[in-house]
Amino acid sequence: MKDKEYIENLIARYLNGNCSHSEHQELKIWMEESAEHKKDFFPIKDFWDLSRTYPDKSEDQLTLFYKNQFEKTKKSKQLWIRYSTVAAAILAVGLIISTLLPFTETSKAGQELFFSVPLGSRSTAMLADGTEVHLNSGSKLSYSSDFSSINRVVYLTGEAFFQVKSDSEHPFIVKTADFNVKVTGTQFNVCTYAENNYSSTTLAEGKIELQIDGSNQNFEIKPGEKFELDRETRKYSLDLADIESEIAWKDGEFIFRNIPFPELVKKLERWYDVRLNYTDEGLQRFSYTGRFKNQETIWQVLDALKLTSPIDYQKTTFREFKLIYKPLKLN
Amino acid sequence: MPDFDSLFRKYQHRLLLYTLKFVESESDALDIVQNIFVAVWENGKYRQNEDLVQAYLFNAVKNSCLNYIKHQKVVRRFEHDAALEIKEMEALYYQSGEKSLIEKENLKQINDAIDSLSDIYREVILLSRLEGLKNHEIAQRLNIPVRTVETRIFRALSALKEKMSQKSFLILLCMNLLNAEVDFRKK
Repeated sequence: MKDKEYIENLIARYLNGNCSHSEHQELKIWMEESAEHKKDFFPIKDFWDLSRTYPDKSEDQLTLFYKNQFEKTKKSKQLWIRYSTVAAAILAVGLIISTLLPFTETSKAGQELFFSVPLGSRSTAMLADGTEVHLNSGSKLSYSSDFSSINRVVYLTGEAFFQVKSDSEHPFIVKTADFNVKVTGTQFNVCTYAENNYSSTTLAEGKIELQIDGSNQNFEIKPGEKFELDRETRKYSLDLADIESEIAWKDGEFIFRNIPFPELVKKLERWYDVRLNYTDEGLQRFSYTGRFKNQETIWQVLDALKLTSPIDYQKTTFREFKLIYKPLKLN
Repeated sequence: MPDFDSLFRKYQHRLLLYTLKFVESESDALDIVQNIFVAVWENGKYRQNEDLVQAYLFNAVKNSCLNYIKHQKVVRRFEHDAALEIKEMEALYYQSGEKSLIEKENLKQINDAIDSLSDIYREVILLSRLEGLKNHEIAQRLNIPVRTVETRIFRALSALKEKMSQKSFLILLCMNLLNAEVDFRKK
């Protein structure tokens, strides 16, 4: 039996800290020990839940409710009309296809499984084939339920670092919205956040093959190289990269060299699960180089920005800040 | 007989707070509450008397949250398991008849209770719940060890629990006295 104070601290960590998986497990086991423990814990959590002030959004939600109801009735009417006119055509085409393809298989392997990591945290997943995947904040890795050591296909949004279990006969494939990466046994990083205007992959070890979606362009990437694709112009580049800063995030470090201010803001937002708002165009021109460890709080990071550049910040609401440009005055 | 809009205005926020006890994602929680109102709208239950509607709404939230957690367990079936199971235990705890303060409408009294806490306790509650600071951030801000922050948070919550149960105990006591008096007069 753990002592009382240990459990009390564990509960406080569960409520407002970063509780590790093993600590969750510990708390769960403690609660299963007796009904008394549950009676102790849940009312405590109840106070915790209710002591947070949370904005009342019921007016907006009521408007949304009526809007959805309205659209639902509209849609069902439209669909009905469309169905009746198209039904005959579908029936005819359906008959033709079924005579052309007497053997159509129905696949049961359609179920999708996924790992997702909320903003402000990172996580590691071990796949069935022995591949280790580090997932960065706000990322999602999904795969079909028939993923196995011979069928190694995953889909990624966000950022992940893969340490692929070596198997030259069965390639490991990472599919993203922009490109597919095919490997046999390597270590590489893929960054493809939906809100970024570029997608990239960086290779640490081994060899990878990359194919841009919707084209036949194939690239072979060597260790130390970074492939970057501009989402809008579809232009790409393949250059030597700074591997250390690209993959430092997986060890809880945040290294950046010469990145523009908007990108820094996006990274900080994901890293700390906060909103950083700014309107001043002057800020866009800055670029930053720096290194943070996981332990630094958002306040310390913002203070560092304030010290090193003409920026000030204000807390606006729950985990939300406003960044203000303060040009230096020479007088 | 309550009309739909005033029912929505009265309960949407409370039901959302309740849902957020079990569901981490705010957008999922909003969806769950919306779906419950869609059901109430479609089955016309909102025309019943308010006590019944209230009980129905809270039960519907509990059931939806349990289904949500079960679905999450299937989808994620991985490292978050223990965390999800804690949430599931909590939802089952309330489904077994225990009542949250949200159901009992004591939200106002909680603020009073927080105000009456001693300074060191009120401080950690305000920093965590109002400013959204995590334990290690509070530790840094106050220049005390994280352990101390954790202990204070737990003690502060225990003190709140104590204060609130005293209050309801007092009310209960008054009720008993009143009943006794009524009984006495009857005689």
